[in-house]
Amino acid sequence: MIKKFDKKDEESGSGSNPFQNLEKSAVLQEARIFNETPINPRRCLHILTKIIYLLNQGEHFGTTEATEAFFAMTRLFQSNDQTLRRMCYLTIKEMANISEDVIIVTSSLTKDMTGKEDVYRGPAIRALCRITDTTMLQAIERYMKQAIVDKVPSVSSSALVSSLHMVKMSYDVVKRWVNEAQEAASSDNIMVQYHALGLLYHLRKNDRLAVTKMLNKFTKSGLKSPFAYCMLIRIASKLLDETEGGHDSPLFDFIESCLRNKNEMVVYEAASAIVHMPNCTARELAPAVSVLQLFCSSPKAALRYAAVRTLNKVAMKHPSAVTACNLDLENLITDSNRSIATLAITTLLKTGSESSVDRLMKQISSFVSEISDEFKVVVVQAISALCQKYPRKHSVMMNFLSNMLRDDGGFEYKRAIVDCIISIIEENPESKETGLAHLCEFIEDCEHTVLATKILHLLGKEGPRTPQPSKYIRFIFNRVVLESEAVRAAAVSALAKFGAQNDDLLPSVLVLMQRCMMDSDDEVRDRATFYMNVLQQKQKALNAAYIFNGLSVSIPGLEKSLHQYTLEPTEKPFDMKTVPLATTPITEQKTEIAPVTTSKLPEKLAPSRQDIYQEQLASIPEFQGLGPLFKSSEPLQLTEAETEYVVRCIKHTFARHMVFQFDCTNTLNDQLLQKVVVQMEPSESYEVIHYVPAPNLPYSQPSSCYTLVRLPDDDPTAVSCTFSCTMKYLVRDCDPNTGEPDDDGYDDEYVLEDVEVTVSDHIQKVLKPNFGAAWEEVGDEFEKEETFALASVRTLDEAVGNIISFLGMQPCERSDKVPENKNSHVLVLAGVFRGGHDTLVRARLALADGVTMQVTVRSSEETVVDVILASVG
Amino acid sequence: MGLLDKLSGWLGLRKKEVNVLCLGLDNSGKTTIINQLKPANHSNHLGPLSEEWKHVSQTQAQEIVPTIGFNIEKFKSSSLSFTVFDMSGQSRYRNLWEHYYKESHAIIFVIDSGDKLRMVVAKEELDTLLNHQDIRSRKIPVLFFANKMDLRDAMSSVKVSQMLCLENIRDKPWHICASNAIKGEGLQQGLDWLQEQIAQSTENNEHMNE
Ligand SMILES: Nc1nc2c(ncn2[C@@H]2O[C@H](COP(=O)(O)OP(=O)(O)OP(=O)(O)O)[C@@H](O)[C@H]2O)c(=O)[nH]1
Ligand SMILES: [Mg+2]
Repeated sequence: MIKKFDKKDEESGSGSNPFQNLEKSAVLQEARIFNETPINPRRCLHILTKIIYLLNQGEHFGTTEATEAFFAMTRLFQSNDQTLRRMCYLTIKEMANISEDVIIVTSSLTKDMTGKEDVYRGPAIRALCRITDTTMLQAIERYMKQAIVDKVPSVSSSALVSSLHMVKMSYDVVKRWVNEAQEAASSDNIMVQYHALGLLYHLRKNDRLAVTKMLNKFTKSGLKSPFAYCMLIRIASKLLDETEGGHDSPLFDFIESCLRNKNEMVVYEAASAIVHMPNCTARELAPAVSVLQLFCSSPKAALRYAAVRTLNKVAMKHPSAVTACNLDLENLITDSNRSIATLAITTLLKTGSESSVDRLMKQISSFVSEISDEFKVVVVQAISALCQKYPRKHSVMMNFLSNMLRDDGGFEYKRAIVDCIISIIEENPESKETGLAHLCEFIEDCEHTVLATKILHLLGKEGPRTPQPSKYIRFIFNRVVLESEAVRAAAVSALAKFGAQNDDLLPSVLVLMQRCMMDSDDEVRDRATFYMNVLQQKQKALNAAYIFNGLSVSIPGLEKSLHQYTLEPTEKPFDMKTVPLATTPITEQKTEIAPVTTSKLPEKLAPSRQDIYQEQLASIPEFQGLGPLFKSSEPLQLTEAETEYVVRCIKHTFARHMVFQFDCTNTLNDQLLQKVVVQMEPSESYEVIHYVPAPNLPYSQPSSCYTLVRLPDDDPTAVSCTFSCTMKYLVRDCDPNTGEPDDDGYDDEYVLEDVEVTVSDHIQKVLKPNFGAAWEEVGDEFEKEETFALASVRTLDEAVGNIISFLGMQPCERSDKVPENKNSHVLVLAGVFRGGHDTLVRARLALADGVTMQVTVRSSEETVVDVILASVG
Repeated sequence: MGLLDKLSGWLGLRKKEVNVLCLGLDNSGKTTIINQLKPANHSNHLGPLSEEWKHVSQTQAQEIVPTIGFNIEKFKSSSLSFTVFDMSGQSRYRNLWEHYYKESHAIIFVIDSGDKLRMVVAKEELDTLLNHQDIRSRKIPVLFFANKMDLRDAMSSVKVSQMLCLENIRDKPWHICASNAIKGEGLQQGLDWLQEQIAQSTENNEHMNE
């Protein structure tokens, strides 16, 4: 580490940059010579350069000092030195937002932009537009209009580009220059034409009809400038996308016709536009891919690069379309431009067959050290994708990755490699030990805290369960001695897991822990003391609860509960069971339409979907006193698609109650619904105790109503129930245009689909990183076992999927992945039953003419075991 | 700096460069005055006005618009090379004048003799100027143009100097000329006075420096 720093210092001291060690105050001092007469252009030029350099380095200038320097600079306008004047323009632009009263140069710039010196005119326009605001714009409008149609291309272009910048600020003024811009669009100069088109488009881009007209006009009349053509292609494809225009549209025809343009840039733009369109058919894609294929053998590196980069992207969506180019891509593998070679290889890795993997990997490793980090990440991503596609290739990949890990590289690159290795380990148990060994080696000299802690966590999780756990201890303890606080703390946690899992390692782990208790950092000491005390008890249950499987509560929920606890003085100890559980990250977080009230929480701990529901429900007076929200289901649709009313239901489970939330949308623009409730008729002894209506349901504005149900206290095994549901409401017809409702209304109702409550509504998923330990912890006091035959199920995968979705429990130890070509499998599931009872399920599955399944259930509560077995049966 | 410039500098031939600040309320005619001095000056050096130049000077006269900020113009007289900062006179820009006080060697203050209503405003601005810390203690020459003397209801230069209380200025050389900037009348007379003052003050300075 220390060596590296030395090296850097040497490099920075090489002194190749004369501006390296500029002092702002010294430079500002020097700027005083701007006030001297006569002016010395050469010296002033040098000082302006320094000022601009400092500004570009992000140096902060206070308003007063900036203004002073700016006004001193204005004096330089008396010099007629061309270079100095142009440097002044640059300074004005750089300082426009930091100095006060920059309008002081308005007249001087106006004079330059209308003067005879052409080299001044364009830059003066650009500078003038930077210092002009909407009120001042009127004063220079006349000059801008003239400049747009000026004969000198640089003047016209400057005026057009500056106008484009000012559209954002003063749309209404710039809009008046459309005629001038039209005239400029027929210029013979390719840049002027391009800039004019840009301005015209931006003036119209919010008016789809106007854009369409403009496209029609220019696609018919044709343009001289290839830049303008590229722009037209972009506008056309954006319009196609927005209007979801079919590929029979004239816009698509236009883009396709550009594939035959004389200019390569236009051809590329058209090809790129086509391959990026959503829902392109193979036939539509073919001509675009074939021009890219042609470019692959172009003598111009830029074209080859563009082509292969685009093909690389296409390969993800349409690998078969790119296969046609495989031969051309093969030729690029040895391209002297390494970026091209990398892209070619990674593309081939995506489209090629398993047999070509080894050859391609060998090729890439011959030059991987020569390419930049950005491309190395591309390579790692390709490897990662490949590993998923061809799991058998993992040893080749692992080797390659470990070599890459040893090379120099930045954080993103290293993280990509580490993530890739970890995912290989998780997918392929046989690769675990080699993978861990590579990672151990890596953390020996790893400057990235995030990666070191991540790897230490993984070592703690996986290391103790390998055949030779002792070999990892040294690597972990080295971290305690050498690293920063965060890494030391992570190392202590990892060590504790070895002590908890392996009795023969426990004595030495205790000795090491003892040493960690003398650490200089609070967190490290606290962790060590805590683990030390837990480990010394030598109780499996304690180890499982406090070392292997940490807290599984929602962090924002815990924070709220603790806060609540401190508000009400009480003798009772804090009860962890009152804290809502964390919804495991594996449940997909879908974006909701309902949540509105939250988003004020700090970004880092984004509240989960359930935290949001918890808060919403808590704000409804009728639902206070229900306790913490235990589980919220995924939404169920209770109506067919495209009906008058759209209703979906979310089931919220509490300790003794359930709340059914009905999100309703009224799709009739001539009706206002009021007092909307969903009446529920239970099939079992569930009791509906309250309805919270949605007061108003106007056209297309979703609103929710709720039904509160008490769960049967006397029969804890009654976990399932079917409710028939009817939506009841008052209809008030209204004028579809104004939305004004009639005075009178009438009652009406609408029948919805049934809502089912099943066992999964009573169980919350909880991830136990070490299932074995948890299994021991719960113990066999209430263990029951039964065997079932699942006659209708054909594969193990299908059986696993069914059980998980039926019980709504969390698969642990990645047991939801059934290895290929196996005919038996063990699935382990963890969850918490309503009321806070830990519940674990182990299902041994065997495939033989259907699937037989032996289910073992353990829980801290006997009825729970019965309920689960009863519902499976 | 070209070789010739250097040479003429050594030989004492090079004209002395002076910075002049042209101030006054908006619409008083500052820009018109400076523009008048400029082409006249060119014709001195480039010989009789070419056709092209006539055209330019005409369009310049037509195209005068209110100044925003300032403009720099240069012209030469028989012994001096002037760099004039023609400032804008609108009230919201007047506070920017002071940025240029320190380095100026002379001030031209222009008054619209026909604008009786705003004479008090002009006086106020003049007083502020004369009391400014960068001006107060300097013997900087101030030339007043009582401009637009051609207007029917224009006040005489005597009347203008009374209204501005110029007689109270004791520590600076000053002079007032009636002028018509459009025709160029009275301008040369004022400039001659200024030239003389600058020559004197530099002599004095040189004595003091010795
Ligand atoms: N009749 C008459 N009009 C004049 C005379 N001098 C200037 N003007 C007119 O007065 C108007 C204002 O002249 P400018 O030179 O723009 O005045 P300014 O002092 O530069 O004004 P700002 O730049 O706004 O401070 C123009 O229309 C001139 O033609 C003059 O001597 N007589
Ligand atoms: Mg002016």
